[in-house]
Amino acid sequence: MTIDELRAAAAARQQTCSRIKKMIVSRLDLPIEPDWITDDQPLFGRGLELDSLDVLELYVAIEAEFDVALYDSDMSVFGSVSRLAEHVDPSLPKTEPATADGAA
Amino acid sequence: MTQTETPTSRLHAAYPESTVYGAVGDAVVALRFSEIEDEYDAIRNRSAVFDLAGTPLIEISGSGANDVAQRILGRDVEFLTAERCMTSLVLETDGTVVDQVEVWGREDGLLLAGSVGAGERLLEHLRSEAADRVTITDRTGELALLAFEGPYAWGVVGRLIDGELAALPFESIVDATWEGEDIVFARTGSTAEYGYKILASAEAAEKLWARATEEATPAGYEALELAMLEVRQPIVRAEATGANVVEMGAGWLVDITKDDFVGKDAVQAAFAAETRRTIGFSGGSAVPEAGTEVTVDGEAVGEVVHAVHSLALGTTLGLARIAPDLAAAGLTLTVGDAEVRTLTSPYVTPKSWSTPII
Repeated sequence: MTIDELRAAAAARQQTCSRIKKMIVSRLDLPIEPDWITDDQPLFGRGLELDSLDVLELYVAIEAEFDVALYDSDMSVFGSVSRLAEHVDPSLPKTEPATADGAA
Repeated sequence: MTQTETPTSRLHAAYPESTVYGAVGDAVVALRFSEIEDEYDAIRNRSAVFDLAGTPLIEISGSGANDVAQRILGRDVEFLTAERCMTSLVLETDGTVVDQVEVWGREDGLLLAGSVGAGERLLEHLRSEAADRVTITDRTGELALLAFEGPYAWGVVGRLIDGELAALPFESIVDATWEGEDIVFARTGSTAEYGYKILASAEAAEKLWARATEEATPAGYEALELAMLEVRQPIVRAEATGANVVEMGAGWLVDITKDDFVGKDAVQAAFAAETRRTIGFSGGSAVPEAGTEVTVDGEAVGEVVHAVHSLALGTTLGLARIAPDLAAAGLTLTVGDAEVRTLTSPYVTPKSWSTPII
């Protein structure tokens, strides 16, 4: 891809990430600017410190905002905003993580 | 390690002969005890135990302790109780990162556990920012910090100490007794696996280390840093040089809604600027040096911050700081001569996320 095509691909992902951040801040009533959340920031535990009740709220919010049902997904979907973006926007290229099974 | 360098840990006499030491900041620590592959496997698939020697342990006490901590720490600790801990950045006024610290609430103040080998700078900074009614005490020499990480670390804690402690909520702290010794137990970690830390006297830690290594695989600093990178936990010594908090992608370790803290103005200025961003990448067989150029069609768009060989990915895993309009996952870039792919975090899915405590 040319650099302009890469910029366009980056912009598409950043736009989806931005929508997700706004949705999270709005739905969970967080006292921060959406852009303050980074694309790679952990959402649970350390990071945005969301909990299981927040997940339930996000399931509903994602279905309303993106028309995607994630109810049966594993928790890794919520690993970061950028990861979540791939699951709510099928047009984004997938960057599925590795597992460490048998890595050694 | 040269012959003149002494290992920082008071437990080093109990380390195996195969231990490989190395300097990390101002500390000399065990990089690995045996093979990194086995130690890494313990973190991701079993249970690993770490001697976090070289971690600065600094107590802030006195009637003004909470006020000073609230000013020094990037995150809000106003309501941090003696049963909770949290992670925060400590910044200079210009926004430069001094260190990342784990803040343990205590009845008479707070205890800061900094990054391995970062003690001198952190202590100097804290003392320069301290005020009346506050005492800054370096307790690094008298205390030891051990950690357990792994999808089955909860089982080790249960067998070794107390099963109920294993199921504490994340970032809880409990004052406990182990074989007659006072310890402070925390559910916290840095690899996104089940993580626990135990603060004990150096004498108690010797006994605990001996018992712990019967239940879990002793792992060194190399495997720990690799596992931290895989889940995008900041490694300050590798990531903070020449970058502000926003460029590091560590904004989540400060609380911009706080009234004030040292470095807040600089963080806000960085947030408003179109600065570079950090993104993970994988690919290539060689591990590039920090500073290696990242390019697209021969045009420089950024540079490598930190890279290692990932055992789980079977290739190079690294962080690059690149132009904001290219800071996104799923892109193909060039690092040195190698084609790499930018990633979403975490780069490796922790097994603990699908492993319940039973």
